[in-house]
Amino acid sequence: MTSLDTNDVITARKAYYAGLAGEADKGRVVWFPIAFLAVLLVLPALQFTGNYNYLIHLVLFTASYVVMASGWNILGGFAGYISLGHNVFFAVGGYFAGMIFARYGISTIILAPLAGLVAAALGYVIGLITLRVRGPSFIISSLALVMIFKILFDNWDFVGGSNGLSLAANDIPVKWAKLPYYYAFIIMAAFSVWASYRIKHSKFGLGLRAISKDEIKSESAGINTRFYKVLAFAISAFFVGMAGAVWGEYLTYIRPNIFLIILVSVNMVLMCILGGKGTIAGPVIGAVLLVAFNEFFVATLGASEINIFATGMIMMLCLMFFPLGIVGTLARLKKLPRVLNWD
Amino acid sequence: MGEIIQIIILGLALGGVYALMGSGLSLVFGVMRIVNLAHPILIMGGSYVAYWGFRLYGMDPLVMLPVAVVILAATGVILYKLVFEREARSAKYSEMTVLLTFALAMVVEGGLGAAFTNTQRVTSPDYATDAIFIGDVFIPTGQLYAGIVSLAIISALALFLKYSRFGYAIRATTQNREAAELLGVNVNFVGLASFAIGLGLAGAAGSLVSFVFSFYPSKHWEWIAILMSLVVLGGMGSILGTVLAALILSVVAAFVGTYFGATWSTLTFFVALFVVLLVRPQGLFGEKPELA
Repeated sequence: MTSLDTNDVITARKAYYAGLAGEADKGRVVWFPIAFLAVLLVLPALQFTGNYNYLIHLVLFTASYVVMASGWNILGGFAGYISLGHNVFFAVGGYFAGMIFARYGISTIILAPLAGLVAAALGYVIGLITLRVRGPSFIISSLALVMIFKILFDNWDFVGGSNGLSLAANDIPVKWAKLPYYYAFIIMAAFSVWASYRIKHSKFGLGLRAISKDEIKSESAGINTRFYKVLAFAISAFFVGMAGAVWGEYLTYIRPNIFLIILVSVNMVLMCILGGKGTIAGPVIGAVLLVAFNEFFVATLGASEINIFATGMIMMLCLMFFPLGIVGTLARLKKLPRVLNWD
Repeated sequence: MGEIIQIIILGLALGGVYALMGSGLSLVFGVMRIVNLAHPILIMGGSYVAYWGFRLYGMDPLVMLPVAVVILAATGVILYKLVFEREARSAKYSEMTVLLTFALAMVVEGGLGAAFTNTQRVTSPDYATDAIFIGDVFIPTGQLYAGIVSLAIISALALFLKYSRFGYAIRATTQNREAAELLGVNVNFVGLASFAIGLGLAGAAGSLVSFVFSFYPSKHWEWIAILMSLVVLGGMGSILGTVLAALILSVVAAFVGTYFGATWSTLTFFVALFVVLLVRPQGLFGEKPELA
């Protein structure tokens, strides 16, 4: 009779799981995201051949959305807590970095991680309060958060009140002026996608996904749900804050009306739902589609009212007919192309 | 002393209007467990009905009130059939419906904005700018009428819920959907009817609001947060709670507005919402919030 040592069992189990992970890795097309990133990194070379500022702007815009949506996805997708108030962190990041930039001239690109940390710290504190409730009450509290911060920023004279502040534009020739922001957003987007992959496959991410399935059961399984949720809130605030920091300098002004309109946070939600909540590729696909939709509607129909109408309509249809999003629906039908399986 | 009475009266008059705005929301949540974020923009739909009735045909907003009720209730039936009925079996029902109503709010906002532009509108019947003086306390007649009419409507609703047979069915469904169904209540029809009644109340509130506040489509975000704070403070689903919360918070907001400025009076509602969620998530009269 062989005696079984606990350590042996654990080693054997680890080897088994490593084998499973290796199996999954074989099915994963790692080269695709890397090649995609490489293409984006050399894309500005087009500027040598003509004026592609609009294309650069679109890619930059999409990348900023990828950062925000991936950040939102950590709380909304993994942990299942839908927040409609994440533009608060966008604003806090933007104002923090923007104010330092205005006063001391330190580039917001350098400040972005710091701005992210400030947003994360605020997110941690707010999370301690609002994550006591769940479901509809949490969603409502997140909406109230936006209203509170809108009033505060509108009336805070130090940051320019509702008129905001204008920031100095950089003195690079127009042709290359967007490039620092372009690379900043591309790198942030790549980082946020990589980070959400790492988080999803960590013990922490597993805990979050357990919470989204059944919070009470995960708590009785020994997960510190409260700490996990609040940490997820802070991490997602970090990414959104980082995006906000650079966005302000890119636009050359910061104003409550840019950061704290509800459409910004709706877009974060919509991108994740469209692409697939809780997946890695979902927010990226959602961001690309949303920017494409936006450009299409603005170009063909113009008015922002139509844009609001269309955004709401897409969100409704998507929720009613594809609640799992593109990646989720395709994965369920086992028709997800391998290049899009980043999970 | 006179000043304090003055503030209380103004607060109560406004609170009456808020109570009507919130009671439809509360009814729909109670029966259907739908947090209808589109409620405020649909209220505004009622306001536009009153506005165009006033503008085109010179109809008094109080006369247009039944028209707005009928139009909004019909909208409710259509929305329920198209959107919400099919969600009844969704696993994440409450979360789904919040997101759906949120998207619906954007659709209606965009639609109203495209149709009527974002200009500020207000109906101006004679009484809207008039005031009654009692001693040195003045009461703006517009708010007084709106407050009285809305409290009358809420009383009628309360009597209907308390004494009519259908009211029993609605209350039974609110308390326990499965048990009500077992006892022969057609919960699906009750859901449809209370959704329609809820939106009818939105129409009534809308036509009253049309001469109390100026309105434009994107203003509904502010209303959402205000109404949610009422509903949460009152306890989700409790109409009595909503009415009390509306009266209390409006008086508090009136005091804050007088002593600290109008900007901060709106903040009262949002801060109240946060404090309630923090201290007593079930509100004044609510049950423990469900853990789903």
